[in-house]
Amino acid sequence: MQLNQLLTQACTIEGAAWSSKKRVLEQASELLASQFDHLDVDAIYNGLLSRERLGSTGLGGGIAIPHCRLQDCDKVTGALIHLKDPVDFDARDNQPVDLIFVLLAPEEAHDSHLQALARVAGLLQDESNLQRLRRAGSAEALYQTALDIAAQTS
Amino acid sequence: MTASTLLLIGAMMITLSILLSPLSNRLGVPVLLLFLVVGMLSGEEGPGGIQFNDVNTSFLVGNLALAIILLDGGMRTRVATFRVGLKPALMLATFGVVITAVITGLVAMWVFHLSLLSGLLIGTMVSSTDAAVVFALLQGKGLNLNERVGATLEIESGSNDPMAIFLTMLLISLIGEAGHVGWFDSAMLLIKQFGIGVVAGAAAGYVLAWLIMNVTLTLALYPLLVTAFGLVVFSATNELGGSGFLAIYLCGVVVGNRKLKVLQDILHVHDGLAWLAQLVLFLILGLLVTPSNLLVVAPGALLIALVLTFFARPLSVWLGLLPFHFRWREVVFISWVGLRGAVPIVLALFPFMAGVQEAYLMFNVAFVVVLFSLIIQGSSLSTVARWLKLEVPAAYQAERVYPLDLKEAGDFELYVFRLRGKRWQTPRFLRDLALPKATGVAAVFRDGRYLPVVPDLAVKEEDLLALVAQESDLPRLSERLTAEQKSQYLQELDFFGEFLLNGDARLSDVQQAYGVTVPDADPAMTLSECIISRFHGHPVVGDKLELGPITLIVKGVSGDQVTSVGLKLNAF
Repeated sequence: MQLNQLLTQACTIEGAAWSSKKRVLEQASELLASQFDHLDVDAIYNGLLSRERLGSTGLGGGIAIPHCRLQDCDKVTGALIHLKDPVDFDARDNQPVDLIFVLLAPEEAHDSHLQALARVAGLLQDESNLQRLRRAGSAEALYQTALDIAAQTS
Repeated sequence: MTASTLLLIGAMMITLSILLSPLSNRLGVPVLLLFLVVGMLSGEEGPGGIQFNDVNTSFLVGNLALAIILLDGGMRTRVATFRVGLKPALMLATFGVVITAVITGLVAMWVFHLSLLSGLLIGTMVSSTDAAVVFALLQGKGLNLNERVGATLEIESGSNDPMAIFLTMLLISLIGEAGHVGWFDSAMLLIKQFGIGVVAGAAAGYVLAWLIMNVTLTLALYPLLVTAFGLVVFSATNELGGSGFLAIYLCGVVVGNRKLKVLQDILHVHDGLAWLAQLVLFLILGLLVTPSNLLVVAPGALLIALVLTFFARPLSVWLGLLPFHFRWREVVFISWVGLRGAVPIVLALFPFMAGVQEAYLMFNVAFVVVLFSLIIQGSSLSTVARWLKLEVPAAYQAERVYPLDLKEAGDFELYVFRLRGKRWQTPRFLRDLALPKATGVAAVFRDGRYLPVVPDLAVKEEDLLALVAQESDLPRLSERLTAEQKSQYLQELDFFGEFLLNGDARLSDVQQAYGVTVPDADPAMTLSECIISRFHGHPVVGDKLELGPITLIVKGVSGDQVTSVGLKLNAF
């Protein structure tokens, strides 16, 4: 799965000043809904929130990958956000989170959903990748860095 | 030989063995094997040339050493591990020992043209396993076994010695009476050995714990009190006709699981004593044997060892564990880890004492079987454990634990943690640590200085944190305070998967979120309930549920409840 098939420049945000886990999920839902007409803010938010209730998607090391499957979603779609200040995300190592990759998947797309999830989680476990993403400085640079990293480690 | 030369020789052998012990890790063989070899080399046919044929002394030393080893093993057995290990282990220690002894005994009878009873006697001697060897080896390799396997092996080896000893004594008395001991007498002997052993051991344990708590002594005397008292229990129980080995093991279990202030000191000293016991025991056994005699019996004895290792042990483990629904990997490993240590050789001294005709043969056969087991099984253990994927990542542990040991303090203990790893390179405020409730930071130490505990004290790497907390909060506490080194953190992700789910998450929600189905499970159950039913009531860390594209791996358990479950995305 290619990263540019699921992530667009418009869904990449650098320096977001969102102050809590709840705000992050809300704002990310709005961002995705505003980009894709067929997606509903509340549906996204509720989907992500119910997934978080099963256990935090904070992987540790400041990374979180909130994800869920949605009825209205027609292809695997993502958003990449670098927060200005890290927020508490109940991550497994209890560290606050600043890099967030949201993933939405269609109900029926089991494999591509899990593939994308594994791919993103894999990319975000490499310390040098994380440094590059955190230092990107602008949304454009963040987006480009993400694509570069994905291309290098495909 | 004067007392002084005797001392010189003994001390030199011990010193040499100790200095050689690091070799065991490099060679991948149990350190006990090295001790045995040093003993043999010092003996009559080695360069040492020492003539030593004193069975009486060996017997005395053997009993003493085994008692000390069992006492130490008992004190290190965590009662909490009984949850998963007790019943299977007892099954192996009773039923399993009998099956192993009978099969091996029949082969011995056939190979050496012995009477049925003498054959069974050999089978019995070699039926008892030694977990101390196993754990020393695994720890040396940095391996951490899943709790179900670890606990079963540990409790089994503590409790099968008394069974093997009992059967040996029974068979010897049967041989002595030329078969005139009836079923009734045998049953009485069994009941007496076990009954008196259990009652005396447990009662003595409580008495000893009470003494430790209520008698004020010089600190250094507590460990010695435990040793001396343990030996009193051991010999008194034997005098009463009970199993002294069982009694001293149980006494150790009771003492080791009471929250005693001085337990750490006691364990420390006993660690050393247990080592000394093993050392002396194996040196003496090595001295006692005449290697060329081993060669005479070697072909037959090796056949017995092969049958024992590849047929009798696996069969008895498989049958014994059937009711407990172990995974096949676990059964295979437990079968392979039927490692024989000192017990068979010490048991082989019993026939000498009783004047059994074939005593020499039995001793040499037992010796070869133990050598075979130490070499073949001992050197392959860690490889087999890795191959069978039974390792789990080691939990982070507090640097020091001090039970408060006062009634008013309940089950609170003082823990000292060292902050380690990348995450602590940036200082963090105490108030942001989000520690479990009912946990208090008592002190922070840095570079030998005490830092006053205030909410906006920033702590960082290499600080020592002293906390008062309950034992039940320990797993969460260690989770909060550690971010392991990068490699270990990755290893953890590797093992438990990318995401963590709560044990109380609904199965239906998990199925919905990942589009998978757990076959034959009620979706209304929680993850914990589902896993508990899958693993027949006793899940352990590392238990897996393969669900096609994802695997669920138990990460945290509290009692028999699953608290957290890792979710691993399988490679596509």
